[in-house]
Amino acid sequence: MDALSYLFASWLQPELLALTAVGTAAGIYIGAIPGLSVTMAVSILISFTFGWEVNHALALMNGIFMGGVYGGSRTAILLNIPGAPAAIATALDGYPMAKKGEAGNAIGLSTVMSFFGGFVGIFVLAVAAPVVSEFAILFQPRDYMLLAVMGILLVGSLSGESLAKGIFAGALGMLLGTVGLDPMTAEQRFTFGSVELMNGISPVALMIGLFGVSEALLQLHNLHLAAVKQKVDKIIPSFSDLKKYLPLSLQTSAIGVVIGALPGTGGDIAALMAYDHAKRVTKDPEVPFGQGAKEGLVGPESANNAAVGGAYIPMLTLGIPGDAVTAVIIGALFIHGLNPGPLLLIEKPDMFWFTVGNLTLANIFLLVFGLTGIKIFTKIIECPKGVLFPLILLLSVVGAYSINNSLSDVWWMLGFGVLGYFMKLYGYQVGPVVLGIILSRLMDDNWRRAIISEQESLPAFFYGMITSPLSAVLFLAIVLILLSQTPVWKAIKMHASPRLGRG
Amino acid sequence: METHTNRRPGEIVFNAALFGFSLFMFWQAYQISGFSALSSAGAFPMAMSAIMIIASAVVLVRSLRLASPGEGWSGFRREVLPPAVVVFCLFILAYSITLKSLGFLLASFLFLLVSIWYLERGRLGRTLLLAIVSIVGVYVIFRLVFQVVLPEGIIPERAILAAIGDFFAGSK
Repeated sequence: MDALSYLFASWLQPELLALTAVGTAAGIYIGAIPGLSVTMAVSILISFTFGWEVNHALALMNGIFMGGVYGGSRTAILLNIPGAPAAIATALDGYPMAKKGEAGNAIGLSTVMSFFGGFVGIFVLAVAAPVVSEFAILFQPRDYMLLAVMGILLVGSLSGESLAKGIFAGALGMLLGTVGLDPMTAEQRFTFGSVELMNGISPVALMIGLFGVSEALLQLHNLHLAAVKQKVDKIIPSFSDLKKYLPLSLQTSAIGVVIGALPGTGGDIAALMAYDHAKRVTKDPEVPFGQGAKEGLVGPESANNAAVGGAYIPMLTLGIPGDAVTAVIIGALFIHGLNPGPLLLIEKPDMFWFTVGNLTLANIFLLVFGLTGIKIFTKIIECPKGVLFPLILLLSVVGAYSINNSLSDVWWMLGFGVLGYFMKLYGYQVGPVVLGIILSRLMDDNWRRAIISEQESLPAFFYGMITSPLSAVLFLAIVLILLSQTPVWKAIKMHASPRLGRG
Repeated sequence: METHTNRRPGEIVFNAALFGFSLFMFWQAYQISGFSALSSAGAFPMAMSAIMIIASAVVLVRSLRLASPGEGWSGFRREVLPPAVVVFCLFILAYSITLKSLGFLLASFLFLLVSIWYLERGRLGRTLLLAIVSIVGVYVIFRLVFQVVLPEGIIPERAILAAIGDFFAGSK
């Protein structure tokens, strides 16, 4: 009965209800505007929610996350410009549908399928997280370390140009996370004699810089791209369409949850895999894929929203973020004094069930806002970038300043903004840097605990790793991720599946 | 997964800088506690910086193998640092420097005014209106609703707000 009351806490308290609604609506518009990402929005936002109660902060962030993942599909359909990476696959068939005058139908179908996928993801979160959490209590420090390595490698390998760049970015984040006083021995690490650096680098300033400032600078390259306007009507999808595509939506939602739950992967990868799945299982589409097939819309849209629930599973049960947004949210939870990990569900069940209920509420708001307000939406996405980017910069500066009421955080943010700009330009991902700084403490602490328990013996550490079933599985997964990036593996894959190779 | 066959302008310099930075950080990590123990305070930073050295060396070698962009400084300016980015960065720099002395309201207003005017190349009247509306919106949401403390500078905001408060309190 207790759990049930937490589940509906945000439904019954007007403040939380309003924050969830505002968050979801804002998420839809932020996700839809190319250049504004959900990660950027949430990272700027967390500095403003420091002083709030944790549930209020979570309500806003959950809403933005849920709405933002969906929002990208709208501009993908209307402008052929995915508002977010998770909507890249949506553009493949969504835009051809819009060109044929079926923009309304495409938006309606993508909204309902996003809602359905989102619900599947939340359901799995509610059912699986307690199980994973119980299982995670068995984890040794070594397993946590391996999980963290796996997360960084997955982000680096799946979403970047090259594994080496991904690994570099992850290690850089880990290194930045060690700046300050060592929590175990109080020794100074990379402080260069500066008192300010003894407190470490603020992860929030780093996030705002890497996600917000760098993206705004990068978008200045395409400042004056003219928007294409589409005719939008008949938003509500037909019952026959829903009935027809529900089985596919269920399959791709399952893909979304699993991919989302893997540490380090997110809705973008889930959507691309779901698109590929839809292509493989649809024998006779009414319209060929790439030319406006509804299946090409249903697959990615169900999967990317299902990945939201999936991404919360490792975050809440293992303390390892499922994707970049949950990396930012986990940072917020730490700031609010919470310690995500296997004990969270035992010590703070209220927070877990609140999150489940709140995500469900945000998902319902997504359906309501997604099917309404299209006319206002088309006006808002026409907002000139020349107005938008100075405002983003202004909010970034305010956000960074408000962390400690200090200008040094603003300088850090700007520094990381410039670094992120160059990193993105030269094909480095910034996600692993953020994931690295968040996971640094977890990895450092667990490495030291693991090696101390083995009396500082490296052979004993490796022996333990291959003889413990759990460690062995995680180690094998890491080896497979590394192997999957070698030319030999790629050649085998291309040979085995020429269809995938054609993409 | 390399997706481009041509080097981007400045790519070698950037990758070489990251390699140099990694070496420097390894040296700094070594200074923490050397090779004293695997569980020492410096062991993890040394491992991470060593990984950075290897990864950045691989990236550097790969970028050296790619075909040269062959456009020199002009290509770098066009593709990496176009005027809009450079000028906007200068505006941000000026904004950050003046934030404390001028205060949030004035510095932000000037930043918005100048940067919107530059990026939009629009009429000054429209830009002025946009800057005022934006700054009022941001101030009301963050300073008054979220109670975010922002640098006051030369405009006595608190005195003005107190005077407004007193005026309304007095009229009741």
